[in-house]
Amino acid sequence: MSIDRPAMSNAEQNNLVSRNTRRDFFARTSDGLLGAALTQLMCGDFFGGTEALGAESDAVEAGIPPVYDLKPKRTHHPARATSVIQLFMNGGPSQMDLFDPKPVLNRLNGKPYPGNVEEIGNQGAADIGVMMGGRYTFNRHGESGMWMADVLPHTAQQADDICLINSMWTDHPNHDNALYKIHSGRLFMGYPTLGAWTVYGLGSDNRNLPAYVVLNDPLGPPKNGSRNWTAGFLPPTFQGTRFRPTGSPILNLKPQYEQPDAVTETARGLLNRLDDIHLKDRPHYGELDARIESYRLAARMQLSAGETLDLSRESSHTHQMYGVNQKWTDSFGRRCLLARRLVERGVRFVQIFLEEQPWDSHADLAQNHRGACQRTDKPVAGLLRDLKQRGLLDSTLVIWGGEFGRTPTTQKSADGYSGRDHNMQAFTSWIAGGGIRGGTSYGTTDDFGHSVVENPVSVHDFHATILNQLGLHHQKLFFSRSGLDERLTGVEPPRVVTEILS
Amino acid sequence: MCPMLPERLTILIFAAGCVLPFSDSRGDERALVFESDIQQVFVRRCGKCHSSTVQKGGLDVSTMAGLRRGGESGDPAVVPASGDDSLLWAMIDGGDMPPEGQPQLSDKERAIVRTWIAEGARSAKPTASDEKVITQHDVQPIVLLRCTTCHGARLKQGGVDLRTPAAMRQGGKHGPVIVPGDPGASLIMQRIESEACPPRELLLKYFVKRPPAAEVEVLREWIAAGAPEVDVLPDVATTESDPFVTDGERQHWAFQPPTAKLSGASIDHFILETLQKNGLGFSPSADRDTLIRRAYLDLVGLPPSLDEWQRWRGSGDSDWYRDMIDHLLASPHYGERWGRYWLDVAGFADSEGGVSSDPIRQVAWKYRDYVIRAFNNDKPYNRFLIEQIAGDELLDHEIAPVITEDMVENLTATGFLRMGIDQTGSRTMNFVPERLGVIGDAINVLGSGIMGLTIECARCHSHKYDPIPHRDYYRFKAIFQGALDEHDWLTFKNRSLSVDTAERHERVTRVNPPLRSRIKKLEVDAKNALTALRTEMLRQHYPNQTDSDRAETIRALRIADNNRTQPQRILVEKLQQVEVLPDSEQPASVLSARHAVDDIQGMITEVRRQMEPPLAIRALWDRGEPSPTYILRRGEHNKPGRLVGPGVPSVLTDGRTPFVVTPPFPNGTPKTGRRLAFAHWLTQPGHPLTARVMVNRIWYHHFGTGLVKTLENFGAKGERPSHPELLDWLAVTFVERGFSIKELHRVIMNSRTYRQASRITDKTRKRDPGNRLLSRMSLRRMDAEVLRDSLLSISGQLDDTPGGPPDPVSVNRDGLVRADATATGRWRRSIYLQYRRTEIPSMMDTFDYPEMGPNCLSRSVSTVSPQALMLMNDQHVRDLAVAFAARVESILKTSGGDSLGGQVDLVYQLALSRPPSEVERQLGIETLQELHRTWQGKPHAAFATYCHIVLNSAAFLYVD
Repeated sequence: MSIDRPAMSNAEQNNLVSRNTRRDFFARTSDGLLGAALTQLMCGDFFGGTEALGAESDAVEAGIPPVYDLKPKRTHHPARATSVIQLFMNGGPSQMDLFDPKPVLNRLNGKPYPGNVEEIGNQGAADIGVMMGGRYTFNRHGESGMWMADVLPHTAQQADDICLINSMWTDHPNHDNALYKIHSGRLFMGYPTLGAWTVYGLGSDNRNLPAYVVLNDPLGPPKNGSRNWTAGFLPPTFQGTRFRPTGSPILNLKPQYEQPDAVTETARGLLNRLDDIHLKDRPHYGELDARIESYRLAARMQLSAGETLDLSRESSHTHQMYGVNQKWTDSFGRRCLLARRLVERGVRFVQIFLEEQPWDSHADLAQNHRGACQRTDKPVAGLLRDLKQRGLLDSTLVIWGGEFGRTPTTQKSADGYSGRDHNMQAFTSWIAGGGIRGGTSYGTTDDFGHSVVENPVSVHDFHATILNQLGLHHQKLFFSRSGLDERLTGVEPPRVVTEILS
Repeated sequence: MCPMLPERLTILIFAAGCVLPFSDSRGDERALVFESDIQQVFVRRCGKCHSSTVQKGGLDVSTMAGLRRGGESGDPAVVPASGDDSLLWAMIDGGDMPPEGQPQLSDKERAIVRTWIAEGARSAKPTASDEKVITQHDVQPIVLLRCTTCHGARLKQGGVDLRTPAAMRQGGKHGPVIVPGDPGASLIMQRIESEACPPRELLLKYFVKRPPAAEVEVLREWIAAGAPEVDVLPDVATTESDPFVTDGERQHWAFQPPTAKLSGASIDHFILETLQKNGLGFSPSADRDTLIRRAYLDLVGLPPSLDEWQRWRGSGDSDWYRDMIDHLLASPHYGERWGRYWLDVAGFADSEGGVSSDPIRQVAWKYRDYVIRAFNNDKPYNRFLIEQIAGDELLDHEIAPVITEDMVENLTATGFLRMGIDQTGSRTMNFVPERLGVIGDAINVLGSGIMGLTIECARCHSHKYDPIPHRDYYRFKAIFQGALDEHDWLTFKNRSLSVDTAERHERVTRVNPPLRSRIKKLEVDAKNALTALRTEMLRQHYPNQTDSDRAETIRALRIADNNRTQPQRILVEKLQQVEVLPDSEQPASVLSARHAVDDIQGMITEVRRQMEPPLAIRALWDRGEPSPTYILRRGEHNKPGRLVGPGVPSVLTDGRTPFVVTPPFPNGTPKTGRRLAFAHWLTQPGHPLTARVMVNRIWYHHFGTGLVKTLENFGAKGERPSHPELLDWLAVTFVERGFSIKELHRVIMNSRTYRQASRITDKTRKRDPGNRLLSRMSLRRMDAEVLRDSLLSISGQLDDTPGGPPDPVSVNRDGLVRADATATGRWRRSIYLQYRRTEIPSMMDTFDYPEMGPNCLSRSVSTVSPQALMLMNDQHVRDLAVAFAARVESILKTSGGDSLGGQVDLVYQLALSRPPSEVERQLGIETLQELHRTWQGKPHAAFATYCHIVLNSAAFLYVD
């Protein structure tokens, strides 16, 4: 039953409400195999069983709590992509400097904003400076002639695989809220992220690794920390697992204390025997099987994660392509390469973050953005190229973007006027692979890149499109709590941006 | 459809598409008219819910006036000639109305309705006078939203108060604000149109946005029309029967008062009756050791000490079990266990949340301690609720000559409704919608936690499943308007009272100032030591770096990272790269500099511990001047609807009884008394929900499942109780016995039902698969608190000091969050840790400590591998296992029984409150022998490994 959950229609769901097997309260969660026993038990009792359950319907309603697990689930419709790599560009990259050239803005460089500055200001109008033209030179790239700035020379070579969405917009000019929005579709904390919804809907193809992996910057966490990969109100099994960049990849994966291997073996043996004794005395308790399985998975993970993380198994050519062991790109390159290794092994959703918010250039934008590009451009392009040559790009969605864009005007900061403020009215994100039409530039902004004038794509539209490629329908993917069906894309129906699908 | 088209033309366009097919059937081409063609259709198909006597969603479709007025959305149900804009048609056409299961309109009826609208929705009666007149009630919500921050209750800039039309006419320093009949001459219009008001520089300071053109237009029209006023009384419950909620809807089981015959009934009587109906009986009683462990973990959340365990298992008294329950209920640890459940209901947190800085709530712990005290003192539940909902309206502390403990206690209790996420103290997140979010959370906590009703669903529209009209949400909101007023807001920074007894005042003013200045000095030292540490790191790892680059790095750290220049960013990153290196790669000089920093931090912590807690109370209090409450159409802050007054959900009343509010201190501080009236209504003995919801919650915590499974929802979509009569009997008994929670524990825990063994037999599995019949006790995993507290207790590492400020946590470089040890070097119970939303201690988080959003009524129970990794590999758990082993060894040394068998015995007694079985004992001895070998002559390590594994075993983690 749990397998079908997300794929059920509303009516089917409502039918089940009366049986009350899908309440999130007292929900039990487990990873991996857990369910076999329990699910079998449930199916036997509810559908296949011939045993009388007693005359009272109460007895039938005496539902066993739902099981939430990571076993592979049926999609709602055929999927174009099976995995996602989200390259998250914390802080808000500037659209008019990188992807969306604005000659009119360039001409007005240094002039006052020709309109009411209150349209621009996020924190009041006091610190708004003058118009600032794009800081870099733009050229057309690929057969599609896609515009891209010269600070992205490597990504530009992949232009024909990329679909630029220049008409993204969001609802809040603050980092915190805009981050919640871009990750979870809501402006506030406590809601499941796109990754959590994805693994809730699809489960995992890999039994030895987490379904949803987060790769952090070794220098520190991104703004908003673990809330960028939270399961929110979904059971915790769907939250992202952070792979640590150094040392043991998963928290507590290896003992934090020293002991001989032989001891570890004896200890495991003892635990198995003890649990066996306990279990034998308590037949029919599915959660006890689940617990034993969770210890087994922990042990498997220890082996499997170690192997996955070992980048030395890759050729030097591959290292070169991602910029591993090169001055500026080593750190991000390693994470991109690791992301490919994870996706290759059936991990469903990988998020890569940068420390804090390197794109948030309120000051010295020209240099700051150049620096951020220098670290990420080559690894990103390497990832696309590598996925493509291995035939993985067709089934992997690669998403690049931040939480909002930047203003056409400068903003006052300590060093004068040399950066841009946040802009929620327009920004650029791009998607590649997974059935997305490469070489596309979608949507239009005004002459300043300040707001969207054509083909707007809301965050909900963006999410619905990604889910669509994964074989999930945004309306059918829901979770009930307190009598409310919660969805990633909220109440108002979003639009799948079909124009960018191949 | 374009509103600028002339009406006639629109009719033509619309009509051309759809009238033609029906002209034949009418033959005479007579236009459809409401009274003769439509009214009967509506009365027949819609009248059950939308007549003049029953107006679901505020809609009456039996008259033309009702259709034009529309329902709660504020839009007319029918817009002549425009099917697209006619809500009524949209609902019919979309298949939303009549609702599923009700007779639907026939095709012919649908066609007639459609055509009638297309033809202009004609009526035989003249429509002359129901053109909507703009009144002060259209203007007031706009003024509240845009103007009264500067011209209202708190500030009267320019001597102007805009809260009433009279005050507008009177105006201020510059004369009247409005000139009725002449918008151009009205100061208010001039100021708004020139954008002088609201002033640009104050928009963000006061969290006001400019009125959009539509609002300005309303103001102008109102003034142009002569600023007409009509006397509209707020919509409140009256003695007239309520058309929005029918008596039929009041028949739902949970909306009727609980009834039960008290004599002769018992829990076992009800349970056994249902079991027998299903061919089952009670399972045998659990054995004594199991009962001891179950009762201890259930009531106090800690395993019994060795002495206590021996006392109960060796007792020859036939009343030993009853005595044990009484003993546990008298323990101060009881409140720490059961208070925690209540903190989940309230959504307790030690931080505000909402923004990434996640500011700490300095004194949230006072509310936590209040709750623990209340449970330990068995404060009657009705009193407990009254204090938490309206403690500020019980005693008038503002004019009291002496502040009493009771006053402080009552105010502390009101922290209950202050627990939701509150970002309104931040620089940019204090606009009306965010304030409404805080209010919404408080209502949500009350609704789901106390009333078992999903009231919050009615915030945007009438409840989909329960008879809770949109109107009732806003009447309910009006109850809180005196304290939580979105138009006269206090942020979390200034919503705090410094009220305490004279004695505490004296102590705080005596003790704290010298400590505070010591801390200040130490903080300067700490800052210097940190700079020294960083400089030393740079010096050691980048010997070629210039001194000025090092100084620039330190300077750059003081600039927010998003304001750094690229060279500054690169410098900072260099420092970060060496900061994350493990200690083994740091030179001695760096390590000693780091120790210097740690030492100073340690001193600061030490001095902080000596400080008296601040006087502040995170309270909720009525401020005596509530703004009017308007229904917000679709829940949107700028779509005001009707004016409403305070009231409770109509479905929980007879629909003919006004909600009576009396100011509590007629000769003292002005307060509305609305929350007090609500609290008294809520706690009256016959209330259909209050007692039921609470006994169900207590039951849930004892058995793992509620009699009503959906703790938060007793409404239509909630689950029916498994044992309705038992639920009612418990509710009535609870009230009858003075709302005593401890008495309820006694009733439940002394039952045979509770004392059953947990084994599942083939028979009970078949006939009672989910244990809804309670044919056995359910096996349950320890929750996060019990697990951690038990580990600490067993290993002798529990510091059982109660109360006070929470113990801080530290986040290590891996992101692991761990509680700091207290001055004793041990750790306090989990309820006393700091629960910052963004820094939940990892062990709690891993074992399903919930995200409070805004609260949590039932925690989920997950079984995932990170739990295994935590218990097997975490250093802290390992340390506790080592301490546990050492403790066992030291006890055995004094008693002289330190054979391997003796070790195994004592481990089981301490960890599992039972002796090992013969098999377990033998397995233990053999494993210990093997471990001695593999640890190569390290017997302590070998024994610690054994203890560690027992603490990982299912026998430890699960409670029978």
